[in-house]
Amino acid sequence: MSVDLQNDGDSKPIISPDAATVSLPATGIATTTTPERKEPPPEKEADTRRRSWIVLSFWLITVFIGLPVWWNTTTIYRANLPLTQMTDWADGKACEPVFPLRIALDVGAMPEQEAQNLLRLTQHALDDLNDFSGHHLRLQLAQAPATEAAAASVRDDSNVALTIRLAPGDAAHAASSSLHPHLPILDVQYPPNSLPTANSPSSGLATYIATQLGSTFAEEQNIISYLLETSSITPEHRPKGISQEVVESVSKRMTRQLKYSQTYHLTFSLFTNGPIPSSWDIEAAIDEYMKPVLDMLRPIHNFTIDTQVQLYASPGVQSQVLGKEDLSSFINAAEWPLSPSIGGAPTVNFIIYIGNQTIGVPSEASPAETSQSWMIPQWGSVYLLAPPPAEAAHVSSETLKQPILTFTSHLLTLLGTPQSGSLPLRLSTLARIRSADLLLRASSSLGSLARLTLALPSISIPSNVADGVVKTIQHLELACASLGGGASSQSLEHARVAEREAERAFFEKSMVGQLYFPDEHKIAVYLPLLGPIGVPLVMGLLNEIKAWKSRRSQKLKAA
Amino acid sequence: MAKDNSSLQATTGTAGLFVVAAALRLLLFTAFPGLPNLLTGRVEISTPVTSFKRLQEGLFLYNHNVSPYDGGVYHQAPLLLPLFSLLPDPSTYPIFTYILYILVDLLSANALYKIAESKEGAISRLYTSPRKEKRWSGYIVAALFLLNPFTIATCVGRPTSVFTTCAILHAVAKALSGNIFTSMLSLSFAAYLSMYPLLLLPPMVILAYDRTYNPKAPKSLGQLAGMCTLVVGGSLGLLFLSSYALTGSWEFLSSTYGIQLTLTDLTPNAGLWWYFFTEMFDSFRSFFLGVFWLHLSSYTPALTIRLRQQPLAVTTLLLGIFAIFKPYPSIADTSLFLSLVPCFRHVFPLLRYSFVTSSVVLYGTFLGPAFYHLWIYAGSGNANFFYAITLVWSLGLSLLVSDLAFAILRDEWEVERPEMRGKEIRQI
Repeated sequence: MSVDLQNDGDSKPIISPDAATVSLPATGIATTTTPERKEPPPEKEADTRRRSWIVLSFWLITVFIGLPVWWNTTTIYRANLPLTQMTDWADGKACEPVFPLRIALDVGAMPEQEAQNLLRLTQHALDDLNDFSGHHLRLQLAQAPATEAAAASVRDDSNVALTIRLAPGDAAHAASSSLHPHLPILDVQYPPNSLPTANSPSSGLATYIATQLGSTFAEEQNIISYLLETSSITPEHRPKGISQEVVESVSKRMTRQLKYSQTYHLTFSLFTNGPIPSSWDIEAAIDEYMKPVLDMLRPIHNFTIDTQVQLYASPGVQSQVLGKEDLSSFINAAEWPLSPSIGGAPTVNFIIYIGNQTIGVPSEASPAETSQSWMIPQWGSVYLLAPPPAEAAHVSSETLKQPILTFTSHLLTLLGTPQSGSLPLRLSTLARIRSADLLLRASSSLGSLARLTLALPSISIPSNVADGVVKTIQHLELACASLGGGASSQSLEHARVAEREAERAFFEKSMVGQLYFPDEHKIAVYLPLLGPIGVPLVMGLLNEIKAWKSRRSQKLKAA
Repeated sequence: MAKDNSSLQATTGTAGLFVVAAALRLLLFTAFPGLPNLLTGRVEISTPVTSFKRLQEGLFLYNHNVSPYDGGVYHQAPLLLPLFSLLPDPSTYPIFTYILYILVDLLSANALYKIAESKEGAISRLYTSPRKEKRWSGYIVAALFLLNPFTIATCVGRPTSVFTTCAILHAVAKALSGNIFTSMLSLSFAAYLSMYPLLLLPPMVILAYDRTYNPKAPKSLGQLAGMCTLVVGGSLGLLFLSSYALTGSWEFLSSTYGIQLTLTDLTPNAGLWWYFFTEMFDSFRSFFLGVFWLHLSSYTPALTIRLRQQPLAVTTLLLGIFAIFKPYPSIADTSLFLSLVPCFRHVFPLLRYSFVTSSVVLYGTFLGPAFYHLWIYAGSGNANFFYAITLVWSLGLSLLVSDLAFAILRDEWEVERPEMRGKEIRQI
């Protein structure tokens, strides 16, 4: 019996339902009914055709649905990344890490000619003195006499990092200088006779000023060259290095400071070992002693503050006199409710502990000042306060003055502020250091991402990673352009955005999963699951082809 | 006259059967008040896409004017919600829900009765089995369905898959009685509720074509197929539109069919998918979802071509394959497959592994809940325990499916080679 499958709707049934009575179609073969050892009758044509249809139906599904599904679900999307640009940034080719600092020379009533002369000579002396090309001091004459108000306005809008105010002094024998405590001004008093003449190759005053400037910016130079040294920038693009001792001292300081963040959370905690004191004037004390510094730090960092009081708090160390090794275990992390640095803003802890304990480590510099407090790197600071004399339950703002001032200086250290110089200079240096740091970190993240992309051709790169990279490069360029300029906060802002975007691109979730998925695993995935499906499919097709070939050769023979 | 009499007798006979079956279910519902909720919680009965508990959650949200798909628990068709919100609250007056489920079971049994009485299993338009005399009456087939422990457990566990079962059986019954339009409507209801019955469309079309075939004025099969596809597409479209009107968004598409397509809910069940996809590498997940679905759907064209002469056999075998390989199978699917198997009573002597098959299925039935308990409650086994027993269960079912397919083909072959009857077969 046979059914025409191709158009069985139209064709009449070839056989009646009672198929048993129908003889085989006219293929010319009669069924022989010899009982044993007989060959099976050849397959009917309709059966062969039906089998071909079945094999074909499986193959059609595999080819027309299976292959597109396979292609669509396993192709790895790789967004185009500007790889050369990224490696350029990481190698330091894209941005010369140069910090041209402008120094204004306010000569006061000095004649123009002499002032120009002094400027040229001082610049010469500076260039001779400075062997570090990454940090470039450039002198210029101040436009207007530097009154304090003018200097204050200048600090905000121009590129001047420091103003040198020259004034003829009384001392006849030597020049002297002092940094203004609140403004970026270096006051230099010079003996009137030390002004260089027009043609003299050098001048005592010029050398003096150059040396002063050099020492003022020495720390910044050291830190920046340390940052470059430890960054991913290749040696040929790096300015000349620094000595080993300097590296060590700077790296010691760098490990102490907190990782950069736009916002820090300051927690002030009062722990007492007894029932009193139970209240403190912390708000007033912070407003009075710490707020001014926090305000000055505003362009670089934001701060949020909270306070707490904890009674009957026992420290981690019970001994009366705290030795050096006790200091690290003094914080009772298990019982004291100190918030960990979770979330966006890292926490800086400031703890005042009122108890009977004292520190037994003699401090070389000034024993009286530091014997009450110590700083814990990357974490915060502790101040031991003696119990109030009377049964006073309240700690006054006066009592808190010394602790808060100590905390302020510790905060500056924790933030990575340089230690020498006047406060405004230290802060502008901090801004420059931070933008250099962020810039270098973002660049090295870009380099790592580029290397990762090249090393793992099977890793997928989502389009938001590419977006992040483009944004990073854009902000890096802006940050680089404004690097070292007076408008440091703008450079800092760009560097900050660049660093954030670079980190986000590098730590993209969907990429991290595939980091550990080598190509060899694909065999392990495909083979056991697709083998059982693939073998019958392929064997069926091969059998069909073989049968078709033999049929054809038979037909040829017959013809 | 005699014929009328016999049909009347059959009806009265089935009435008795139906009463007994309904009484048995009512007894189980009322005498063991804890039983319905216990069975509702069983993973073998309730899957994420059919669970009665999830339906209640969706119903609660729906009655409080919140989208039922909020919260990601409810994955069933939206039109079930107004039906159940018409009933009194199942937790206070559960009897109405019980009666609804009993009625649905009886309706399925009635459809099954008609299917068996049509004798399509042994005698189709293009094929008549030489063993056609040996067959079971509709009464027996319906009784086997109604008194099957799997069916009873499903009814008491109240998953919504009973509606799909009912719709599929009615689609078959209507196609057999030549009522093409109703049949296709019923099939689209089934597809609307569970999606996979859409794959039954080709054998259904052939079934309807064969049963309405008029030798004097033959119509084209292609024409009929087109018409059927249009009817199914149109009624599905209408159902979707009314669902949209009901819920106010197209969210239900991704929450009901999307869940089945992407297998986002990996609650363990009696099937083979969940374990694979808990272990699957994430990057290959979508690829293997494609492979699994293709595997499931690739049987339809091949079986339809091979068993062109016996469309009911194609439908039965496909239902068996779905009960094994669909993403969220439960014993409701097994009971649907098992309910159609007795229509092929005439090939039972040709089954080779009936003992092995029944032992393996019983083994899986008894050890499945035990291993699940060991894994989830006792904690003395792990997921592999339960997965191993679902493998055994699926092995038993696939033995039954392949053995049935073999028997049907052998039956066909003996028509062609009557002299080979009763002889051992041997592959050449």
